[in-house]
Amino acid sequence: MTSIDVHELTKEYGTTRAVDRLSFRVQPGRVTGFLGPNGAGKSTTMRLVLGLDRPTSGSATIGGRSCAQLTEPLRTVGALLDAHAAHGGRTPRSHLAVLAASNGIPGSRVRAVLEETGLGDVGARRIKSFSLGMRQRLGIAAALLGDPRVIMLDEPSNGLDPEGIIWIRELMKRLAREGRTVLVSSHLMNETASFADHLVVLGRGRLLADMPMKQFLDSRSRPRVRLRTTEPARLHASLASKGLTGVPAEDGRWVIDGVTAAEIGALVAGEGIPLLELGDERATLEQAYLDLTAEDTPFAASPARNRQEA
Amino acid sequence: MTPTAVLHSEWLKIRSIRSIHGSLLAVLATTLGITVLILGTTGQEQAERPGSDVLLNAFFALTFGQIAAIVFGATAVSSEFLNGALRISLAAVPRRSLFYAAKMTAIGGSALVVGLVTSFTSFLVGQLFLGEHAIGLGHPGALRAVLGGGIYLALMALLAAGLAALLRSAVAVLGLLIPLFLIVPFVLVDVATEVVAYLPDRAGQAVLHQNPADGPGPWAGLGVTAVWAAAALLAGWWAIRNRDA
Repeated sequence: MTSIDVHELTKEYGTTRAVDRLSFRVQPGRVTGFLGPNGAGKSTTMRLVLGLDRPTSGSATIGGRSCAQLTEPLRTVGALLDAHAAHGGRTPRSHLAVLAASNGIPGSRVRAVLEETGLGDVGARRIKSFSLGMRQRLGIAAALLGDPRVIMLDEPSNGLDPEGIIWIRELMKRLAREGRTVLVSSHLMNETASFADHLVVLGRGRLLADMPMKQFLDSRSRPRVRLRTTEPARLHASLASKGLTGVPAEDGRWVIDGVTAAEIGALVAGEGIPLLELGDERATLEQAYLDLTAEDTPFAASPARNRQEA
Repeated sequence: MTPTAVLHSEWLKIRSIRSIHGSLLAVLATTLGITVLILGTTGQEQAERPGSDVLLNAFFALTFGQIAAIVFGATAVSSEFLNGALRISLAAVPRRSLFYAAKMTAIGGSALVVGLVTSFTSFLVGQLFLGEHAIGLGHPGALRAVLGGGIYLALMALLAAGLAALLRSAVAVLGLLIPLFLIVPFVLVDVATEVVAYLPDRAGQAVLHQNPADGPGPWAGLGVTAVWAAAALLAGWWAIRNRDA
């Protein structure tokens, strides 16, 4: 079993603490979304896991071993950190051939990952002519090169077109189904909600949450019902008798806080109030995330935020 | 992960970027071109001048070729410092000393091969223009200068490569070495002639003289250049080992 284990990890740059006593484990077999505001320490954590930066204290291991101890590390962990890191003067084929040579990976894998990432036809073109989306695909190809058990991707959907975003989503889900450990950072909430099974959320270098996606959403949601009726006046009277108030929303809908659809359904059925629509409203990942990180965003435009609108 | 595999990977890195292997080929092209230009026009006149050093005349163009060798060593390393390329390299080869040793072996080895080809070819081609003044490899000191010239070019590439690992920029390396070679000797020559003879380029070029003036002898001078290169390589090794990527 190959998990990523981060234990009491701390990294200081001068007087700034980029990562602050961080502990979490990324399990195989699921996609773990790695969330946090800009500057929360996501990329730093990934570099520490890869042994590129030295921690001030604490440890980060892959399958119980630090990355520097791995022989042929690309066969254990593949990472996309920065799509611009590939030298523009090389071709995708030579970029991957360089990596394959050092880790004893056969040349057939270079062709295989180029095909898999849709770069099969441009393998001999210079990378400097590539769009950001194509560079992302090349970075993902490099991460998959050694057929690793652990995959870390830093903002992989940057610059991808809609087809590319769907492709990367399906790819990550497939990698997790194959039993691999997949850690993906992102700041796109709807994107993350569409692929992550589990979330690790950072704020100012500290761990804010480490839980399954569903639990995270439930823990940050307050019960709320949205409905449509032809007789708002009777509905109001009925709600008032239970100490509830409806707030008008767009399209003639009403929103009621603090109750579930089951409770409202029973109430209006008893009164014989006709309903055209009734449903529980769940927090989106975006709302839940903003609720959690409101105090931990170093570069927020404004401290006050209307969470209803967010 | 074997050292051979990492060395192979580093060789592929040099080969796959045109500006890097281009500057390596420029060592040969520049030296040969300038040799032909100088010896083809004023070579015979020079040779007739009393007290002229026939070896130095033959290898004069090497001082231009060394600029290309420095550019090669500096850019081969500085390409790792563009946009975080080093992170990709070290994620693949986390043993930093192995990574550094393989890179420097690939740079030094390819510079040595090209350097030896350059000094041999330039010497043999240059002599074709000198008519009766031409010398052969059997001339006293000629073989020594041919071998020494090739080694000198490789040492210059390694000096630049080590500095590039320390300074993380080819521009910084050229900004340091070019003035050191072209300006500092003229500033220092009156106050400290002895020091000038021990600068990395001046010391090593003694191997190209028939009769080196003052300062270290031919092989000793090359040894001084080797010490400079070794110091730069050690400084670069320290930087790669200890800095965050």
